[in-house]
Amino acid sequence: MPRRVAIVGIGQTRHEESKDHWVYWENDYEAAKAALADAALKRTDIDTVIVSGWDAIDGRTLSDMHTSMAAGGYLKDSTHVGDDAIIALAYGYMRIASGLFDTCLAAGHGHREASVEAVTRIVFDPLFARPVARNHTITQAMQANAYLHKFGVSEEQAARVVVKNRQNGTRNPYAHLRQAVSVEDVLASSPVAYPLKALDCPPESVGGVAIILAAEEVVRRITDRPVWIRGIGWAIESYELGNRDLAQMPSVAAAAQQAYRMAGITRPLEEFDLAEVHEATSFHELMAYEALRFAGAGQGGKLMDEGVTEMGGRLPVNPSGGALSTHLFGATGLVRVAEAALQLRHEAHGRQVAGARLALAHGLSAPAGAAAPTNCVVVLERG
Amino acid sequence: MTQEEETLIMPGAWNLPFRHTAGRFTSRFFRELRDNRKIYGVRCPQCRRVLLPPSSFCEQCFTPCQEWVEVGPLGTVEAFTICYVPFLGLPPPPIAPIMVKLDGADTSLGHLLGEVDVSDPGKARDAIKMGMRVEPVWRDERRGEIGDIQYFRPVG
Amino acid sequence: MGRRVAIVGVGLTKCSSHRKDVTYPELIYEAVSGALAQAGVTPKDVGAVVFGSMDPFDGVFAPERWNVEACAGAGFANKPFIKITTGGTTGGSVALGGYYHVASGMYDVVLTVASQRVGESVEAQLVLNTGVDPIYERWMGIGAITLVANQAVHHFHHYGTTEEDLALVAAKNYANALNNPYAHLQRHLTAEDALRSRMIAWPLHLSDCCPSSDGACAVVFASEERARRLTDTPVWVRGAGQITDNYWIGERPWYHDWDSLAMLARRVYKQAKIVDPLAELDVAELYNAFTINEIIQCEALGFCDKGKGPELIRKGVTAMGGNLPICPSGGVLCSNPIGASGLIRVGEAALQVMGKADQRQVPGVKTALAHVWGAALGFHVLMILGKEAP
Repeated sequence: MPRRVAIVGIGQTRHEESKDHWVYWENDYEAAKAALADAALKRTDIDTVIVSGWDAIDGRTLSDMHTSMAAGGYLKDSTHVGDDAIIALAYGYMRIASGLFDTCLAAGHGHREASVEAVTRIVFDPLFARPVARNHTITQAMQANAYLHKFGVSEEQAARVVVKNRQNGTRNPYAHLRQAVSVEDVLASSPVAYPLKALDCPPESVGGVAIILAAEEVVRRITDRPVWIRGIGWAIESYELGNRDLAQMPSVAAAAQQAYRMAGITRPLEEFDLAEVHEATSFHELMAYEALRFAGAGQGGKLMDEGVTEMGGRLPVNPSGGALSTHLFGATGLVRVAEAALQLRHEAHGRQVAGARLALAHGLSAPAGAAAPTNCVVVLERG
Repeated sequence: MTQEEETLIMPGAWNLPFRHTAGRFTSRFFRELRDNRKIYGVRCPQCRRVLLPPSSFCEQCFTPCQEWVEVGPLGTVEAFTICYVPFLGLPPPPIAPIMVKLDGADTSLGHLLGEVDVSDPGKARDAIKMGMRVEPVWRDERRGEIGDIQYFRPVG
Repeated sequence: MGRRVAIVGVGLTKCSSHRKDVTYPELIYEAVSGALAQAGVTPKDVGAVVFGSMDPFDGVFAPERWNVEACAGAGFANKPFIKITTGGTTGGSVALGGYYHVASGMYDVVLTVASQRVGESVEAQLVLNTGVDPIYERWMGIGAITLVANQAVHHFHHYGTTEEDLALVAAKNYANALNNPYAHLQRHLTAEDALRSRMIAWPLHLSDCCPSSDGACAVVFASEERARRLTDTPVWVRGAGQITDNYWIGERPWYHDWDSLAMLARRVYKQAKIVDPLAELDVAELYNAFTINEIIQCEALGFCDKGKGPELIRKGVTAMGGNLPICPSGGVLCSNPIGASGLIRVGEAALQVMGKADQRQVPGVKTALAHVWGAALGFHVLMILGKEAP
């Protein structure tokens, strides 16, 4: 029987348009400090620190020299994943499950110091992809278009995802964007890359997030409100876009399958009380409904239309406002975990799903958009 | 803002030159584009798929590939978008990135669609359709790179 | 201690200044297919992948994306895969990642891959300069060489180490590399040749510095049950760990002694139940990107007292045939595909324990140590491997 792992500390900064008074790693520092305070732990109580993100986005090679210090890693067995911070959580989970560490702090940040499009452009290979105009948005647009075309999903259905998430964001004190928008606003917003318009895409937000994990033997000493990781899975998709059906997200499905199997979930739509999903775009949230088995193939739009995923619906998705309200490039996945965990503690003030006991959190690590993204799914349970 | 409150922003840029190897497989592919205006894929000996861009191994069978197969020149549009925003490092909008499956290949190649008016977003989705047949337009002066095919254009 | 984990396969590529014959995925495929073949597993058997490289040398940022298929094989896409990157320690951190994946109980066979194509960069030091803080320091034009040269100056000043000591280290490693078909630099170099070579940043001559290399490495980790079924020569992980020191070198009191490495060594020796490393280790693959590194590492790892590192090389203790051969592979000094070099240390140490190190084999190896450093002299990884299960 593998060792159980729980979330015992959650830290988030307020996410904003800019924080020019902070150097970028202060986002990790403030979030880590907040997580330690939340868990009533000290830096010395943490056995291992795992930081995250991309050097080219941070503008410093070996950015983790700074962020691991900011997250409390000084002279510790600390490491860095070149992925979204949710993968730092996945790795931390494994370190604790191994029995070799009892506590772990995983941290991530987002800022606006880089040109994300310029960086993602150079993730693409220089021989075939880069010369023909590729960056993360372009490939995500092609994917959204493939999905729209294959299943007859409309831009209006995708726009309703934006309306839902932006409305939810108005009630989240941590969220960056806190104004509601209408379907008309979304459809009229300036075209980015067909079928994406400006409001179909997440903003760029500045902030930090940190989560402290602990092994079951020490959890009760730390907190009386643990959030247990009942299942976790992650998977990477293929790089070659010309080699697969772009209307699917098989790595999300594979990650979910692993997590659901570990957690014994067989009817996700019925069993979960809420889901925090990392929507790369509005269309990608509809696609995620299918990959996560909330809806059948091509039925994501219908689920949205029926109001199932609204606050008050059968399975609220993104009560926090999702990535469309707050997007830390490199840490939005971990924010999903933080928000889902707050929900299970019944501490998601203003946006609480009543009586939440079981939640799904999904995160995406996608420096090349739809090419080889890594998706991670976590099943969380109130302790 | 007083002098005490003023926060500074430091500019930065990475200007790192590189020289990328194409390797022997891609070099041959590019040479055929440049010298003969021919497009080649490679066939996996196990699954028999013809892969484009050509790779020295099939990732599904994890086997080395050796058999070169000419494909196209015509192909079918399998995916596309039309970009309206000026992205850093990309050509100025509007541009139409596509995935095109050349006749005889089992995988699609990424490229751009040209000679189509996509400037009006309202009309653009009539101009490009999934499943459209396209043909390559070759550069007159070719250099041995993917840009030797300038773009693909609709046929007929 | 946790679940027992063993290394069951290693794949190496020939390192050179620029592997023009391959694209990036083709280079990865070379290392991966070698490791899988030695382990006797197919891609389908692999439960998860850990990939590392030090971005942005390769001119493709986050190269693991382009390389997914090359790590993979039949239906691998849509399986677990994470990227670890920690500068020069990347290869070591990747090995740790593979170890913890298996130790967690979630996966039985894990493929670790690390690579670098420094040859794709026109000027490596320029890339290294992007690791220097852009707000206070980047304008000074610092790179790895100047940083380490400073370390050498301190050691010379405190302990009387000389350029001749460094030259002896260089000659030893170059001689070893002649027996390693995967090494980048394979040439005859005497201590006199070393002293005559061009001065780069005092006191470091050209032969005191690592080359810029293209190369990749893959190592397969397996659970005890699978390892015993797969091979007669499983290489057991007996101790492992990483330490992260701060970035600002001016804050460190131990610049010439590398106490952060000594701290890590105490932790990992305790796990592996090693009390007298000089006596109990049979071979060590150290991350000797620069000759002075090897001298200070010997001290910090407890092979000798502080300041006495030069005695080990002068007495031949660390030569092939000595009491504790260091870097039979020629080390990082003779091949440095930066992000891969740490995993190559682990791979080379594993091959020594397996008895499969061909011409560079040290006879009768039971216990081997692999060390990796990176960052601003601030990160270290250690892994101790042995013939006997812990």
